[in-house]
Amino acid sequence: MGRLFLVNLEGKGYTCMHCKTSLALCEDVVSKSFQSRHGKAYLFSNVVNVYAGKKEDRMMMTGMHTVVDIYCVKCGSYVGWRYEFAFEKNQKYKEGKSVLERYKVCGPTGNNTYWVSQEVEAAESDTDDA
Amino acid sequence: MENGLSEVLGSKGLLKKHEFIRVLVQCLYSLGFKKSASCLEHESKILYKTADYEFLEMQVLSGDWDSCVAVLDRIFDNSKDDMRNTALYLVFKQCLFEYLKRGDVSLALNVLRKQAPMSKMGKEKVHRLACDIVCSKEMKFGEEDSCLVQDSRKNLLVELKKLIPLPIVFPERRLEHLVETAVMDQIDKCLYHNSCDAVSLYKDHHCGRDQIPSETVQILMAHKNEVWFVQFSNSGKYLATASSDCTAIIWKVLDDNKVELKHTLQSHKNPVSFVSWSPDDTKLLTCGNGEVLKLWDVDTGVLRHTFGNNDTGFTVSSCAWFPDSTRLVCGSSDPENGIVMWDTNGNELKAWRGTRIPKVVDLAVTPDGESMITVFSDREIRILNLETKVERVISEEQPITSLSVSGDGKFFIVNLSCQGIHLWDLAGEWKKPLKLSGHKQSKYVIRSCFGGLDSSFVASGSEDSQVYIWNLKNAKPLEVLSGHSMTVNCVSWNPKNPRMLASASDDQTIRIWGPGKLNKPENRLGDQANGRNRRTG
Repeated sequence: MGRLFLVNLEGKGYTCMHCKTSLALCEDVVSKSFQSRHGKAYLFSNVVNVYAGKKEDRMMMTGMHTVVDIYCVKCGSYVGWRYEFAFEKNQKYKEGKSVLERYKVCGPTGNNTYWVSQEVEAAESDTDDA
Repeated sequence: MENGLSEVLGSKGLLKKHEFIRVLVQCLYSLGFKKSASCLEHESKILYKTADYEFLEMQVLSGDWDSCVAVLDRIFDNSKDDMRNTALYLVFKQCLFEYLKRGDVSLALNVLRKQAPMSKMGKEKVHRLACDIVCSKEMKFGEEDSCLVQDSRKNLLVELKKLIPLPIVFPERRLEHLVETAVMDQIDKCLYHNSCDAVSLYKDHHCGRDQIPSETVQILMAHKNEVWFVQFSNSGKYLATASSDCTAIIWKVLDDNKVELKHTLQSHKNPVSFVSWSPDDTKLLTCGNGEVLKLWDVDTGVLRHTFGNNDTGFTVSSCAWFPDSTRLVCGSSDPENGIVMWDTNGNELKAWRGTRIPKVVDLAVTPDGESMITVFSDREIRILNLETKVERVISEEQPITSLSVSGDGKFFIVNLSCQGIHLWDLAGEWKKPLKLSGHKQSKYVIRSCFGGLDSSFVASGSEDSQVYIWNLKNAKPLEVLSGHSMTVNCVSWNPKNPRMLASASDDQTIRIWGPGKLNKPENRLGDQANGRNRRTG
């Protein structure tokens, strides 16, 4: 549909597991200790080639946040979410940043680790704070 | 001459009645209605020329310089006034000129030595007079030509008029100027204004939707897949479209503005994503998506040359022509990122290559061939002056998907992937861009273009299947055109017909838009609380 606009990232980074579209650079990782329902997730300061779904208010481990789910522009698969608004002051640093689920992306070394994790409580997980 | 009236005109009492009448008298004289003018002077007892000025005029035209100086002295009562001194200087200069022409040297010297200094017009003006005699070519001895003298006296009057203060003299054609100012102000506020015809004085000027393209007049169906690009030729007589069905089509615009198919260009193995008309409209360049660049002959539809080789890998993203229609540039990214300049015979003329150059997203050359604008992945705009080699860099806040230059080469617009269009000036005087918004863009390359009279409008495609039109005076869209059923990828405004617009869409059609109908309610987004007013179209 239309002519997809894809941003090229120079350097080592993470790509979509299904279609290998670049999503983020290693140097943009903010934190590796996020958790999602499906396992490990990384917080990035800049993610490209994704489009957003509808805004939702979600209760996470660290409190209430307004988030949008993000999807790969090329193949449309779900890759993670982006924080639009944090209700608590000490969570504000997340605003504008995106989380990519580790099992939906290929790492720079090309590996793709499946972490079918232990059951995590609450609707959606989050991070442990620094 | 003021006759003591304190009456005022206008709904706010801001206009002085006697001035109004005097301006009317001037207008009648300048239109050639001498009888009516003097009749009005008589009836209103307001004269166009004040007594002082009439007298001065008489003295100048008859060459009575002493009286001239006396009158000027009276009009300007302050000897420090520079206008006064300049006026006196001009009168003396004319006087000297005439004496010398007649051969009256002693008279001239007398003026210079005695009369000029006595007028208190300042030492440097006297010195300048002396210089004029020595240096000026006009001040030679020669035959006295009475015609020439009269003409030069009339010129002197014109010059003096510029220096004499109000209200004795006021600017020529004053009423015409006042009315034109009011009309230009109305035109300025008119958002649909799109023609340079004279406007009516009978009512306040206000254009409607019939001035800009806003109704579908034709739907072109020939492509077998999504249409990604559309562009009118520079002459406005042809249209080129490019599609993901791997072809490009050249259409002809007929005299009645109907469009018909002329040639289908088949050769690319990948979708065609970009086309470019040579400035003389005889050649067309097509870019394959992640593929090579091809050159076609417009008249015959024959493939002339392929730049790059599919086997060795040469990926082109965008291209542009130079005004001579023989040199072109293209942005390539395989094997190496760079910009390459070719001639139409396939010879490489120049290249900017290197590992440090980012990928070229889009590029353009200004119509005068002086500057090359390149958009580098993903937010950098570089404007290179090809003569001086001076480069200016603009860093945008968001990734840029496309670039378009205005017809006069003074401005350019970039579409950002986060739904904005930024307009920049080429000269580099603006610190911030003009921002337009309202359309939808998040995943695809959406293109926009300038259009209309003096490029005062911008049109853009959108992911919500509509065409958006802005008047540059307003950041919110002026018109939103519905009709396509899928994403509109690209738009092109006919450079020679300000009321014709073409749009290319994923629904495999191209729509030609023409002047809107006046009786439909105007579709202004600014008035809507939330989103757009959908029309059936």
